[in-house]
Amino acid sequence: MMTRYGMLINTLECVGCYTCRVSCQRQNTLNHKEDFIKFTEKETGTYPDVSTEVVPTQCMQCDDAPCAKVCPTGATYIKDDGIVRVDQDKCIGCKYCMVVCPYNARVVNYETGTVDKCRMCAAELAANDTPNCSCVSACLMDCRMVGDLDDPESDISKAIVKHHAKTLTGDKNANIYYVR
Amino acid sequence: MLERNLSRRGFLAGAAASAAVIGTAGYMSFADWDVAHAADAKSEPTFAGHSACGGCYSKCAYSAYVKDGKLNKLVGDPEHVYGVGKPCARGYGWSQIAYSENRLTDPLKKNANGQFEAISWDQAISEISEQIKEIIATDGPQALSLVETGSVSMDFYVQRLFTALGCANMYRHGVACNLARNSGLLQSAGTGDFGGDYPNAKVIMYIGRSFADGIRPAYAEEVKAAHDNGAYMIMVDPRYNSSANYCDEWVPINPGTDMALILGMAHVVVRDGLQDQAFIDNETVGFDIWAESLKKYTPQWAAEVTGISAENIERFATMMAEAAPAAFIDPGWRAVTGCSYINSGETARALACFNALLGCYNKVGGAMLFPASPALAKLEGTKFAAPPALKEKKLGAAEYPVSLYSMVSANYLMQEAKEGKVRGIIFCQSNMVGGYSNPTELENILNGVELTVDIDVQMTDTARCCKYVLPDTTFLERDDLPWSFSYTTPCLTLRSKVIDVVHPNTKPVQDITVELAKACGVGQYFDFTLDELAAAQLEPTGVTLEELREIGSINYKDKGVDFGGPIKWGTKSGKFQFANEEMTQVGLTPDVNWIPPKVEPGEGEFRLIGGKQPIHSQSWTTDILDLIQITHDYDLTRVWINASVAAELGIEDGDEVEIYNDLNTGRTRAKVTERLHPSCLWYPSPYGCNSPDLTNAYHVGLSFMSFVPFQMDPYYGATMSQEATVKIRKVGA
Repeated sequence: MMTRYGMLINTLECVGCYTCRVSCQRQNTLNHKEDFIKFTEKETGTYPDVSTEVVPTQCMQCDDAPCAKVCPTGATYIKDDGIVRVDQDKCIGCKYCMVVCPYNARVVNYETGTVDKCRMCAAELAANDTPNCSCVSACLMDCRMVGDLDDPESDISKAIVKHHAKTLTGDKNANIYYVR
Repeated sequence: MLERNLSRRGFLAGAAASAAVIGTAGYMSFADWDVAHAADAKSEPTFAGHSACGGCYSKCAYSAYVKDGKLNKLVGDPEHVYGVGKPCARGYGWSQIAYSENRLTDPLKKNANGQFEAISWDQAISEISEQIKEIIATDGPQALSLVETGSVSMDFYVQRLFTALGCANMYRHGVACNLARNSGLLQSAGTGDFGGDYPNAKVIMYIGRSFADGIRPAYAEEVKAAHDNGAYMIMVDPRYNSSANYCDEWVPINPGTDMALILGMAHVVVRDGLQDQAFIDNETVGFDIWAESLKKYTPQWAAEVTGISAENIERFATMMAEAAPAAFIDPGWRAVTGCSYINSGETARALACFNALLGCYNKVGGAMLFPASPALAKLEGTKFAAPPALKEKKLGAAEYPVSLYSMVSANYLMQEAKEGKVRGIIFCQSNMVGGYSNPTELENILNGVELTVDIDVQMTDTARCCKYVLPDTTFLERDDLPWSFSYTTPCLTLRSKVIDVVHPNTKPVQDITVELAKACGVGQYFDFTLDELAAAQLEPTGVTLEELREIGSINYKDKGVDFGGPIKWGTKSGKFQFANEEMTQVGLTPDVNWIPPKVEPGEGEFRLIGGKQPIHSQSWTTDILDLIQITHDYDLTRVWINASVAAELGIEDGDEVEIYNDLNTGRTRAKVTERLHPSCLWYPSPYGCNSPDLTNAYHVGLSFMSFVPFQMDPYYGATMSQEATVKIRKVGA
């Protein structure tokens, strides 16, 4: 069986503190405008019976990644472990990938003009036990998990079953699951 | 909090914007430095030592990694009892201050035109010390003052300098933070703060407290544990804050009336005989006095004042009493109990007293009084011996005798300065003008003070108003003294230098202080190095400086709270005090009685309430690019307004609006929300920087305190940040 890395985000426990966005910038040495993680907040109900939900989104590491399909130079490619990567040396900044990305997950690096996005660094860092400040490690509320979705015995696979987690839109190609 | 969906248009526009401001002053420009430290993509970051965040006062420890000399990833140190291994967004962001293009790089002096000119360190130290000596010779040391908030070594060195000079006027930011809370708790429970046994609690009530907005990571961990273990959590706040989703109930309350809720609940507990009488008999004084007063605070009365139904007040009181001692009211921090209202300190005292009715102090699941922090060496009779003890007390101590001495009251200092009684003020990383009280008034007062000096890393609103500005290094570029403190367990931690000095003409605050001390003739109290002092301080702990530098932080888990053990109350009576005659010195009753808010909104007016966002610490992080970019991306400088009220005023979400009162007028956009009590507007407190040198923060958002008059509460001396009203109108309507 292959390894297929994915993530689980429990939005019921997310307080929208932005820690993952900034810790990711430190872990990956990003500039201040490179937001690999974005947030959508929804308010429901009428005063005083209200509730809120914060949904962090990032590259969903799609199985059939449309960004990889349209990339004219092969800069965007899918690794054997399912992680979609961007080779910055090959990117020409044409932004086709940004147009086709269904999740608005890609970001232009204003310093280089190239396009970048979440590298799911947490998977490799966890596998190698490397000290890190990835979104998974940094989350103050521990609402993120990373692991192998193809292994039914992995913690993440079990948690997805337990919480009936789904991808954001029910998209079968996406590899980030949400508890909502 | 988080705002609108990102539009693709906004996304691309943001990406197209440029950013290329080149640092100017200094012997080496930032651009040159950056080139010299250009990262080699192939090298791996290496561990450079344990630092500790300077983004707020919690100083959470982390392991700093460096790549080609430049700070890289940060990994939280789990032993630090505030940080628990999880820096927050502010921490990850504030670490970039070392590389800010807006750093102070050279000593500056304001010229006759009001512009800053770079001067040499020799000139700065010489001129400042001559003025200090002249002021002392003419008017005595009490004509000087210090306002500081910073690192452990900053505290030690600048306080020692002022002690050596014979000046007791040393102030901190408490006036605009938790002065009233710590004082109210001191007068009842004998301590300025307490925690809770969250994992074992059954019922917790928060009053105006949001762990997810004003973050200390330990609180996040605790609240999650309480939530996971099934605690029933009640959030009392006019705003459905970012923590409210973790709570079982949101209880919007008329702002400023929280004390009435507590009094009503206390009435129910005592009326129904639900109090812990054994605890009251053994551990407290004054219960009978308070019990008599409580008779008039019926749930019906409290319902009228708070807008919370009498049934709910009965229900909360009964629920907490039945869960006792595994129940408590959280002490709050800055907001309701800290400095917001005329009744803030008494609200703190009331909740401490309510917890005493529950008998929950140092019980499993209850409130926790902090154990002693690890003892550092006293250093008497050594070369580190302290200067002679001060003969006088600081200005304001006599006027606010029941307040916590260390926090009394920077606003009082400024009032005295306005009357010409203070001739010199030295600030250390304290942006008083940016947040302690009304900025216009504070600036006017500072302009009239002869000698004003700021030691800081950036040109804050306060630095801008001073005559001399001295550039400190950042916390990342210098060693610090050991920090011994205690939360629910004691902790010892050490922050070490992890990167080289970026701007060569900056100096660590301790070195600046020693130079000033020598020039002022009190250098004999500083005849040692920082490392020698640190090693000597650590002597009783059994840990050497070298060991602590390697470990970073130690959590003394086995020296935590002794549940059910005897309690050593820090009060004068040695007991918990439901009543306390000393309160009459400031016009309060011995026990806690209702005090209405000072200001009530009139027709068309709203109370302006504020608070933190999880990405900023007051004003000092707003110039950090990583953090202010979030402010821009999610339009976080909007004013919150209740949806029904907005509809009546014809204001729609995103509309440009004007908020105004006699003191200030400002424009922003409206966030129309169901998450706010209709009697108030909510505005985040860190924005509205008025210092042009802070190019990232300058004029982003409105200055909350510009709508608040220069004032102090008459009991504890706090700034009363929410005793102000404003009106709002749609621009162009």
